[in-house]
Amino acid sequence: MLVFTRRRQEAIRIGDRIEVRVLRVGRDGVRIGITAPPDVPVHREEIYEEIRQANRAAVAPQVDLTALAERLRQP
Amino acid sequence: MRTAAMPVPVDRQPPTDDVREGLARNAVSFPDGIPGFEACRHFVLLTSDALAPLQRIESIEGPPAAFLGIDPRLVLEGYRGSLSATDLRALEADAETTLLWFAIISESEGVLYANLRAPIVINPQRMVGRQVLPDDGLYPIRHPLTTKA
Repeated sequence: MLVFTRRRQEAIRIGDRIEVRVLRVGRDGVRIGITAPPDVPVHREEIYEEIRQANRAAVAPQVDLTALAERLRQP
Repeated sequence: MRTAAMPVPVDRQPPTDDVREGLARNAVSFPDGIPGFEACRHFVLLTSDALAPLQRIESIEGPPAAFLGIDPRLVLEGYRGSLSATDLRALEADAETTLLWFAIISESEGVLYANLRAPIVINPQRMVGRQVLPDDGLYPIRHPLTTKA
């Protein structure tokens, strides 16, 4: 992992399209601003992880290949 | 090639090349993937009378992955999902495009839930899909699935 020390209003550039800037430093948190192109997904990790967990808990239904067969029979 | 008279395996045998080709033609691509199913980028939607109104969404590549989805409007009356400009661009859609919405169904300790927060949205014209991951929590990730649906 790359580790940088940054002060308020200093930034890090990732490639030529992404900028991560420290906006405010508090006692318990750091406010960060991210500038990225719209095709780069940016999420808080805990939200992404929560949705990932819910997806992993998705019901894996019994295989029903008759439906698959029906679909494939369509011209 | 027509798929009309094609024999289809009725058990879990590896699909023949013909079946594989048929699946690929009907596959929806998810360029950004689905969290938790990172190895899968192409899924098919399978419907049957027995499963309706549930829809089976199954990966056609990578490790086996399948889940059930349901139109969130059937789960929660008045459900209004929203899409960002980024979502629309990824779906190659605009505000007028008719899109398919599916809440993924999960199970925990015997109770079924529908994920209304992060629905799967598919543009059937372009056969491209995406799981919408909103940062704000307007709808729950685990909304109990009632028998109404």
